[in-house]
Amino acid sequence: MQKLVEFFQTAPVDPQQAGQMLWLIILLPLLGAFITGVFGKIIGRANTHLVAVGAVFGSFLLSLIVFWTINDYRAMATTPFGSVNYAVGADYGTWFSAGAFKVTFGLFADHLSGSMLLVITGVGFLIHLYSTEYMSHDDGYWRFFAYLNLFVAAMLTLVLGDSLPLLFVGWEGVGMCSYLLIGFWYTDPAKAFAGRKAFITNRIGDFGFLVGSFLMVLALEAATKMPADVSSKLGRPGLEGSSVLARLSDGAKQKGPLAVPVLEEGSKVFASLLDDTIPAGPLEGFTFGGVLTAALLLFLLGAAGKSAQIPLYVWLPDAMAGPTPVSALIHAATMVTSGIYLFCRISWLAVLSPTAMATIALIGATTALVAALIAFSQKGLKKVLAYSTVSQLGLMFLGIGAGAFWAAFLHVITHAFFKACLFLGAGSVMHGNGEEEDITKLGNLRKEMPTTWLTFLVATLAITGIVPLSGFFSKDAILHAAHTNSIPAVAWALKTAWVLGVVAAGCTAFYMMRMYFVAFEYPRSAEAKTPHAHESSWHMTLPLVVLAVLSVVALVHGLPIMKAEGRGTIQTLMENFLDPVFRTTQENLAKRQFLVIPPEEHVPWGAYLQAWLIALTGGGIAFFLYMRFFPSRKGQPLPGPLEALRTFSWNKFYVDEVYNFVIIRPLGVVARVLWRVVDSILIDGVAVRGTAWVTKQSGSVLRYLQTGDAQAYAAIMALGLAGALVWVLQRYAL
Amino acid sequence: MTSIYDTRILNLVIFSPLLMAALVLFLPRTEKAQIRAVTFVGMLFNLATCLWAWTRFVPRHPNEFQLEYRMRWIDDLGLSYHIGVDGLAMTLVLLTGVLGPLVVLASWTYVEERVKEFHLALLVLQTALIGAVCSLDVLLFYVFFEAMLIPMYLLIGVWGAEERQMAATKFFLYTLVGSLLMLVALLAAYFIAAPAGSRSFDYATLYNGLMSLNREVAACTAAGDCSNVSAGASALLRWGPLMFIAFSIAFAIKVPMFPVHTWLPDAHVQAPVAGSMILAGVMLKMGTFGFWRFAVPFFPVAARQYQVIISLLAVIGIVYGALMCLAQKDIKKLIAYSSVSHLGYCMLGMFAFTSEGATGSAYQMLNHGISTGALFLLFGFLYERRHARLMADYGGIARVMPVFTAFFLIVTFSSIAVPGTNGFVGEFLVLLGSFKSNLPMAFSVAATTGVILGAAYMLWMVQKVFFGTVTHQENLGLKDLNRREVLAVVPLLILIAVMGLRPQPFLDMLNPSTERFIARAQYASGKTDAATEDAKVRVRVRELPAKADVVAEAAPAAMPRLMPTGRILPAAALNLQNP
Repeated sequence: MQKLVEFFQTAPVDPQQAGQMLWLIILLPLLGAFITGVFGKIIGRANTHLVAVGAVFGSFLLSLIVFWTINDYRAMATTPFGSVNYAVGADYGTWFSAGAFKVTFGLFADHLSGSMLLVITGVGFLIHLYSTEYMSHDDGYWRFFAYLNLFVAAMLTLVLGDSLPLLFVGWEGVGMCSYLLIGFWYTDPAKAFAGRKAFITNRIGDFGFLVGSFLMVLALEAATKMPADVSSKLGRPGLEGSSVLARLSDGAKQKGPLAVPVLEEGSKVFASLLDDTIPAGPLEGFTFGGVLTAALLLFLLGAAGKSAQIPLYVWLPDAMAGPTPVSALIHAATMVTSGIYLFCRISWLAVLSPTAMATIALIGATTALVAALIAFSQKGLKKVLAYSTVSQLGLMFLGIGAGAFWAAFLHVITHAFFKACLFLGAGSVMHGNGEEEDITKLGNLRKEMPTTWLTFLVATLAITGIVPLSGFFSKDAILHAAHTNSIPAVAWALKTAWVLGVVAAGCTAFYMMRMYFVAFEYPRSAEAKTPHAHESSWHMTLPLVVLAVLSVVALVHGLPIMKAEGRGTIQTLMENFLDPVFRTTQENLAKRQFLVIPPEEHVPWGAYLQAWLIALTGGGIAFFLYMRFFPSRKGQPLPGPLEALRTFSWNKFYVDEVYNFVIIRPLGVVARVLWRVVDSILIDGVAVRGTAWVTKQSGSVLRYLQTGDAQAYAAIMALGLAGALVWVLQRYAL
Repeated sequence: MTSIYDTRILNLVIFSPLLMAALVLFLPRTEKAQIRAVTFVGMLFNLATCLWAWTRFVPRHPNEFQLEYRMRWIDDLGLSYHIGVDGLAMTLVLLTGVLGPLVVLASWTYVEERVKEFHLALLVLQTALIGAVCSLDVLLFYVFFEAMLIPMYLLIGVWGAEERQMAATKFFLYTLVGSLLMLVALLAAYFIAAPAGSRSFDYATLYNGLMSLNREVAACTAAGDCSNVSAGASALLRWGPLMFIAFSIAFAIKVPMFPVHTWLPDAHVQAPVAGSMILAGVMLKMGTFGFWRFAVPFFPVAARQYQVIISLLAVIGIVYGALMCLAQKDIKKLIAYSSVSHLGYCMLGMFAFTSEGATGSAYQMLNHGISTGALFLLFGFLYERRHARLMADYGGIARVMPVFTAFFLIVTFSSIAVPGTNGFVGEFLVLLGSFKSNLPMAFSVAATTGVILGAAYMLWMVQKVFFGTVTHQENLGLKDLNRREVLAVVPLLILIAVMGLRPQPFLDMLNPSTERFIARAQYASGKTDAATEDAKVRVRVRELPAKADVVAEAAPAAMPRLMPTGRILPAAALNLQNP
């Protein structure tokens, strides 16, 4: 056993050199995208498949090597402030620089981004494989694989980039690919619209991201210029206050102010400066704490756009217009989790603002509940899954807000497995049932599609939170943290969020089981498009099986089997694994105590039992209602108020309509009014043509003076001369 | 190596299109293919000279202006033929050079009437555009600045769409009003900047004269007593703001800034594809370039005084231009209004008076030239096929013209500044610069909303035109791009990617210019001490050559010296002299 552990903790390549190959991980799918996009039509379908799948698989192998390497304690990434353990990194030179600002092509993989690497390329590979069959009848296959490969490249840039601008490249890049893939079947206007909606909603988030980044640049610059009396309190063992600032300022010059290590170092400085007022510059008069809170809330807006949280979640359900593998990869497993990734990445900043933490938790919990309630009444397989994704992402945000970053991230990973499995299962169901996705028009799939059924069941149980499956542990970890941790400054926030989260978890069990029962256990519907479903080929079922297995196996990460270093408390595997990533976070937490995390002395059996009961209750109600209650009362409407509630939920609480009425239409009206009134009438009509008109009119009046009549001219001349004479005489003679 | 060409290359860059025009003049008007071919070759040759000049330009050179050439012209007026480029001018020259051949390719089948005159106009326009950017004599600049109006007026008025006459007249009068104001201000500057006898229209004389006067004005304003300053300073004190306003109006019309932008939509809508491309690609930059080279450096005190107003107009332009786009039905009009929005970024970045902002602004000038030029180019192909400009006339084009759609999408992403394309770098730097500046934070935040609106209107248009089913029968038979058309677009696509992924070479080129611009804009604001500041901003140019009417060839004292870059510079370029 010890030998085995040692084997896995010894890097297969020189840990110092491993960073140099990070760019290859991005390059492979990028190259794949280029080849399939430009030559895909020429080289044919099979070759396109080979290139696209091969590129991602190659990337996966490289990611494995990197992941293996960062488990070696000798793996070190150098930063301007020393080196980071259990990480590899490389800097490939300047991207752009101007004035004091700079961005470098720096890539960095630690345990956080390393895990993401595996999820992206691993799940990505499976989904590519699946797509070769799923898209086998589509003429746009080359376009599809080009976009998909491009997406993988962008997502990898997002997680590997070691500065916020580089992360933003991936951030917008995945948004762009998502736009292209949602609108893949562009001849359908509704699908094209869904793509556009996704991009623009994401752009609203990106606005927040950009402004937040700019604020961080300003705050960092202000911090380095703090006067000596303030900087004296920044001293650390072995470092004077002024040299802390000098180091920070040098680092910002070397890597650019938005590089992650620079911000991390900055967060240590901010931790001591939160109540200080900025004396000069564009942020004059604000405290560092205030600026930090504002920036974090703006980042939250960005994350809400990408990760579909209130108020920007509306695009995700519509994004299901894209091909199902896209929903699985982009809108469930990877892209939508980048908001959580972002906050894990900058967790050391997040814990410095209790307001931001509380807001994140509340937004997350509310989203989780609202989306779950909408999912209650949806009929489309993918629609239910979409709202369930929104809901699960909400839970992850709750985890972030509660300070359980590792739990949120664990849920990212387990969710990637079981939700990808569910989506691919849904795709398999649709593929085998003539593209039918209305659950009421399916039925009896347990018998007709055994492999799909089994994997779907496993994944459903996982998301429901049934005991031995991975979803149970990750979800429980989040809810447990929300219950036990506290933010003293706004104590009510986490308490409320916890209640919301627990209810949402119960709802999850209900609507997932409902979907499962109706689609798989009901007798075959009379309205089904095909009398019998056909099971899909191995290209599609193999990924299902692998993902189902993973959704079980991932439970290992959630087991509290590790001892926390030097503290005698217990930790889960994941918490222990991510410990190097969150060291600065813990330092900052210890310094400011904005968040209290009680140490875990024993295995929390009580919490486990509670979570299990919630899942069972939700699932049980679903079983009773859909297997016992409804079938016998088919065709009868629900009792009065419940029916109204169902309609309300079916119409998604009319949020889209409200946005349309409050924002989109007024904007259009304002635009048209401005154009008609200001542009056409005021500026062009009155000012421009008015000037022309005045010129013309004065011309037409003045032209009467130019008669060409010599006598008149002579007369006027004479009169003028006489006048002049009179004036001269008056002036000088009299 | 010292080369005689280094002092002459710019002449070739400027006048090679005119030479080609002379050649075209002798071609019979029926030989349309030949005329096109000769013009195309001429433009390619022009591009080659631009590239040559680019390679001879040393980014980190102590001289502000390089590849200078100066010749006596009208001594009595202090007017000389004086050209030279700094980093910004060099990149703009290259942009013009790149667009030249593409414009000819784009119009290959578009223009069938008066082909000879059309190509003559293109060539003359090319000379005027490059000449204006390279002029180091303000009157010479004015001549080129006005000269470019005439071919552009003809391009719109003769080869334009239905209401071309109206649009051409509007364009001409609008711009003329501005440039006449500028002429007045320019003459005033001529008289104020130097005492009688040493007056000159030369950029160095004007700038250096105004520089010391600006110092005086700033000093006396700070002291609160301006009763006993020199005559020049008191004139500048009194008339400086007005002169700045006159320059600003002239250039603001050209940019165009809100609220003097209404000529642009009409001109773009009516102009042929070549006209739109050059107008958007290069001509609008004459406005921003004018601010950068003349208005702000000449009157830094007044510029700082009006900084907030101009920035406000720029921000309004960004948001207002984007809103206008959302109200359009006409595709060309939409692209035209998007120019108003994008140029707003240029102006905001410039008037942030921070290095990041100014760099972003300069970069955005190039980006806008490439992306909007490409948009007009691509739409021109569609217009040529269908002769319709309304979005409602299209729909589902992606199905019939896939390559065209792919190109259009890439350019769209560049236009809405998706990272990885050129647009992002410029926009990011502009916004960062404005956040870092002393402007109110609300301005910067409002400008950032342009990021959302930009995506909204561009993707809306893309959806209307390209997605959905084909709604018009006549669109079903549209042919995808042919080889010539692909050839015309691909260089721009390559530039979009290269400038997005490797912007640093361009930024290095621009960097000395931006640093000088910032120093000049902040001149006499009391942030740096006078002596270093003066040394930094003073314009040093080649002396007027002796009467012999030739360039002072390699003055004996100036031996070729090894520069820090390890490159040997032309001796003539080192022949510095403080005027």
